[in-house]
Amino acid sequence: MKAGDGRLKEQAIVEKKFSFRLNGGEVFVSAPPAHTLLEVLRERLHVTGPKEDCGKGECGACTVLMNGKPVLSCLVLISQANGAEIVTSEGFMKDNLPDYVQKAFVDNGAVQCGHCIPGFIVSTEALLNRNPSPTVGEIKTALAGNLCRCTGYASIIRAVQQAAQKD
Amino acid sequence: MRLSEIDVVSPASLKDALSVLRDRSDRIKPIAGSTDAIIQLKEGLVQAKELLDLSRLRELRYIRREGSTVQVGALSTYSDIIESTVLGSSCRMLVDACRTIGTPQIQSRATIGGNLANASPAGDSIPPLYVLDAIIKVQSRERTRQIPIKKFFIDYRKIDLMPDELITEISFEAVEKPCDATFLKLGLREAHFISLANVAVWVRWEPEGASLSDLRVAMGAVAPVVIRVRKCEDFLRNRTLTEDAIWQAGQIASRESSPISDVRASIEYRRAVIPSLLYKALHTLIDSRRTWEKP
Repeated sequence: MKAGDGRLKEQAIVEKKFSFRLNGGEVFVSAPPAHTLLEVLRERLHVTGPKEDCGKGECGACTVLMNGKPVLSCLVLISQANGAEIVTSEGFMKDNLPDYVQKAFVDNGAVQCGHCIPGFIVSTEALLNRNPSPTVGEIKTALAGNLCRCTGYASIIRAVQQAAQKD
Repeated sequence: MRLSEIDVVSPASLKDALSVLRDRSDRIKPIAGSTDAIIQLKEGLVQAKELLDLSRLRELRYIRREGSTVQVGALSTYSDIIESTVLGSSCRMLVDACRTIGTPQIQSRATIGGNLANASPAGDSIPPLYVLDAIIKVQSRERTRQIPIKKFFIDYRKIDLMPDELITEISFEAVEKPCDATFLKLGLREAHFISLANVAVWVRWEPEGASLSDLRVAMGAVAPVVIRVRKCEDFLRNRTLTEDAIWQAGQIASRESSPISDVRASIEYRRAVIPSLLYKALHTLIDSRRTWEKP
């Protein structure tokens, strides 16, 4: 993942068992206790909506909801998430179809390369849960922790506005 | 040290956490919201074989007011502070400062106790706590200490906290008329930025006119630790806040600073912006004061 010392052997300490709610269902998983929530979601549970881009809290691509709040899953340890309620971008789908936020992103061409979009979806859902009719300023503040490397912010903001109208 | 090689201890109570810390403070590192700690560990800036995770200790996550004293549990997150009705009416300055820290995702996790323990000279919650004359409560299994904030910060990233102690509470007097307070920071962009300089100002207005019977001014990111600019305060105390007086006070504050040049700004720039920051902060307070007099 990161440039390291080339050692392949992992002196992994004993894995521990964790359980938490993920997208509405209970999951049980074994993992090293200081694995990040992101690593566990992607590599152990194969939930790949959250992405690792920067790995240090700058980009927001790994954003998930934890107990209703947007958090960076690259900066949460699995030990800290034990017993928590986690929702990833996948968790908002209804009957395997995009929900109104996801649909608004598609309708507005807000998705370019798409890499950042799961994080933007989670931040948008968190915003609209607490503020169903945000101003443009409030949208910008709520999405300040998500970077789009295609710089498609204007259409993303339009998508959030449209989602808010449909809410 | 890779994260996968580190063990994590998750105590169920503060008492348990303090016991663990007493027994193995030499090899265990406490973490709270861990928005800085995990980065420091990933980048090898900090080594640890074991982490003591405090983030699930609900008992240190409270914001309450008793009489005129506001008490903030050390594990209160920035989101807790931003959403607190108690702080909204008792100390708007701290709410405003926390709103400028990181991003919504960081604010969900990062704690005010963590900001103090991390002890960055640019920590944005620290200047407000300086001008509030906050008391930092630290506890070990054996004892509790109440430390005035100016004594808590000793030197660059050096705080008065023993290896077996945890920061448990921050307390201060509510800010109420005729007092007021404000926080202002300057960075290179509009969101998610580290202060290249910041200022907190607390004032007590005279009953009439634009003069101050008392004030406290603290500045961050302009010295190895957050500083109170005492000469600037002395100059402004009992003085009418004319434009001239405010600019002179800014020059005095600038001379009291000892900034460094870094990736965010040069020494010269930091020195030059200090008067402007103070000017804007004082004018925010003057404008606020004018609204009090309206019928």
